[in-house]
Amino acid sequence: MTTNRLRRPLAAVAVFVALTALVAGCGSSDSDGGKASDTTTKDASGGATKAIDAPDKITIAYQAIPNGDLIVKQQKLLEKALPDTKIDWKLFDSGGAVNEAVTSGDIDFGLAGSSPVSRGLSQAIPYKVVWIHDVIGDAESLAVRSDITSIKDLVGKTIATPFASTAHYSLLAALNDAGVDPTKVNIIDSEPDDIYAAWSAGDIDGAYVWNPNLAKIKADGGKVLITSAELAEKGDTTYDLGVVATKFADQYPDVVNAWVKAQDKAVKLLNDDPDTAAEIIGAELEIDTKDAKDQIGDLIFVSAKDQAGTDYLGGALATNLEKAAKFNQEQGEIEKVADAKAYVDGVDAGPAKAAG
Amino acid sequence: MANEQADEVTSPASERTTQPAAPPAERRTPRRRASLLIDDLPTDRGSKLRRLGLRLVSIAIFFVAWWVVTRFELIDPKFIPKPGLVWDRFQQSIHTETKGTADFPIVKDGIQNYFLWQHWWASMQRLLWGLLWSVVIGVPFGLLLSTVRWFRLLFEPYLDFLRALPPLAYFSLLILWFGIGDTSKIWLLFLAGLAPIALSIVSGTRGIPRDRVLAAQALGASRLQTIRHLVLPSVLPDFFNGLRLAVGFILTTIVAAETTAGLPGIGGLAWVSKKTGNGDTVILCIFVIGATALVLDGLVKALDRKLVPWRGRG
Repeated sequence: MTTNRLRRPLAAVAVFVALTALVAGCGSSDSDGGKASDTTTKDASGGATKAIDAPDKITIAYQAIPNGDLIVKQQKLLEKALPDTKIDWKLFDSGGAVNEAVTSGDIDFGLAGSSPVSRGLSQAIPYKVVWIHDVIGDAESLAVRSDITSIKDLVGKTIATPFASTAHYSLLAALNDAGVDPTKVNIIDSEPDDIYAAWSAGDIDGAYVWNPNLAKIKADGGKVLITSAELAEKGDTTYDLGVVATKFADQYPDVVNAWVKAQDKAVKLLNDDPDTAAEIIGAELEIDTKDAKDQIGDLIFVSAKDQAGTDYLGGALATNLEKAAKFNQEQGEIEKVADAKAYVDGVDAGPAKAAG
Repeated sequence: MANEQADEVTSPASERTTQPAAPPAERRTPRRRASLLIDDLPTDRGSKLRRLGLRLVSIAIFFVAWWVVTRFELIDPKFIPKPGLVWDRFQQSIHTETKGTADFPIVKDGIQNYFLWQHWWASMQRLLWGLLWSVVIGVPFGLLLSTVRWFRLLFEPYLDFLRALPPLAYFSLLILWFGIGDTSKIWLLFLAGLAPIALSIVSGTRGIPRDRVLAAQALGASRLQTIRHLVLPSVLPDFFNGLRLAVGFILTTIVAAETTAGLPGIGGLAWVSKKTGNGDTVILCIFVIGATALVLDGLVKALDRKLVPWRGRG
């Protein structure tokens, strides 16, 4: 009796463990195989570019931000340019997470805001900026209750923003410009959609946040006090940037050029045919074409030719990133600022020049 | 050797009092207790049907209430999406959509470019791997904790430390160590499942009555024989409780594990939908995760009934 009691369950537990292993094992190889077939069947539009030295696989960290990166992904522009390479698109949550992934050596290209990139370059994360996905215009703004009429009124009020984001940076810069001590304002950290929920519930007095939640707050009685476009005029521009791991860029310069070329095509579509661009981006973000178009309208997209100039990758961006790092240090957001050289070396206008 | 073990298993009275799960008094009167348990209600056909009917009614009431609340907008529609919208999302999630222009065709599978079952299966693989590792590591770990004194002194604090940590707090460390692929996610899920499994084994071993261990030893059982013929079968009911808890813990950790590079994945889908304001997709994901939890729990319970027929009669 006792042995019977024991043997049966033990054997069954062993079978359960073995089955779990088998099921899980089969599955993982299965899903890899299923996705790999996608890219090899695509034809390159110009068969002559076959000579590019490219790796078997490229891993790209993208974010749910309505810019050209989503067009490159949806239209498989990079897959078409590099038909023999598997492109692995990984959705990321924030620039901070992209920084971590580059540090762990898992991704080749990534999208991150200028604030996280400035922090990354200060910490000597081995990547460089080769593209500006967008200049943040009115897409990020400070919206407040209607009884607040100036930034000075924010003292003692509760303002929400996602910490370590470009919006957080812009909020601190706006307070700084107005001569308001940020410690006198109750600044709280929250995800954009939670910020909107807090606004609806009347828990916060304002928020520095981006679309679609900025638009929802505005529709719900929020009044815009200052926008990132206005801050840009004062020299506190924020961007969404395209970074590439330095090691990868050194090994596969042609791939970086091809990537920038694909991004430039997407920017051209955004500027020439915003309706089609909005439909593509809407499909990626699972939102209406109309909403996508509104969101695109609040961002500024710059062609490769212009990006190569001194206003962007060719000069101003490195200065901007260094300034952001210094500001972040003053605010106690980062420990130390790197040498000016780190920010100059951290931006490479070469691929944009080649594409433009 | 054998003496030391007897010591451990039945050791200090103070420890016994912290394990209220199986007080000896109840063990001696199992029949009376068992009659109070739902599982031991009569299982003839009629009552089975009645139970099924009750479940279906409860589900129907839920959906009708949902429909009424959204139909008459008793609660702001911003906060609760209509059932129809969630159904539309479900349809979208299992079909391929084609639109766009001739120059820029848009072809899209499901939601976020994967069908619903691809999201689900990706998460299930991570869950099963995490669970497998928690069992493979957690069971011996729990046995060692409860039978070897120095091992417990050395490692119990780590287990208590670990299980108190919220997964999001250390997930970014796991990404730095193991990368953004499935390895870091499986590590996170394994750590979530480890504590309930190991602790269930510990509680099961400590609940073994002292006289049984002494009886086994008096009959000349070695330490290994005691473990094999007495400890393991006695621990099985607790192990299955631990397994059910572990499945639950791992499921609640899935969304956290899939916040970074979590597509395909049902938790990743819920997370990105939350961030892009697609409340109806979030509800869809909640249903899928909830249904998965019920099915998995049912499976473990069924396995438990098959393998531990002596539960409650020990």
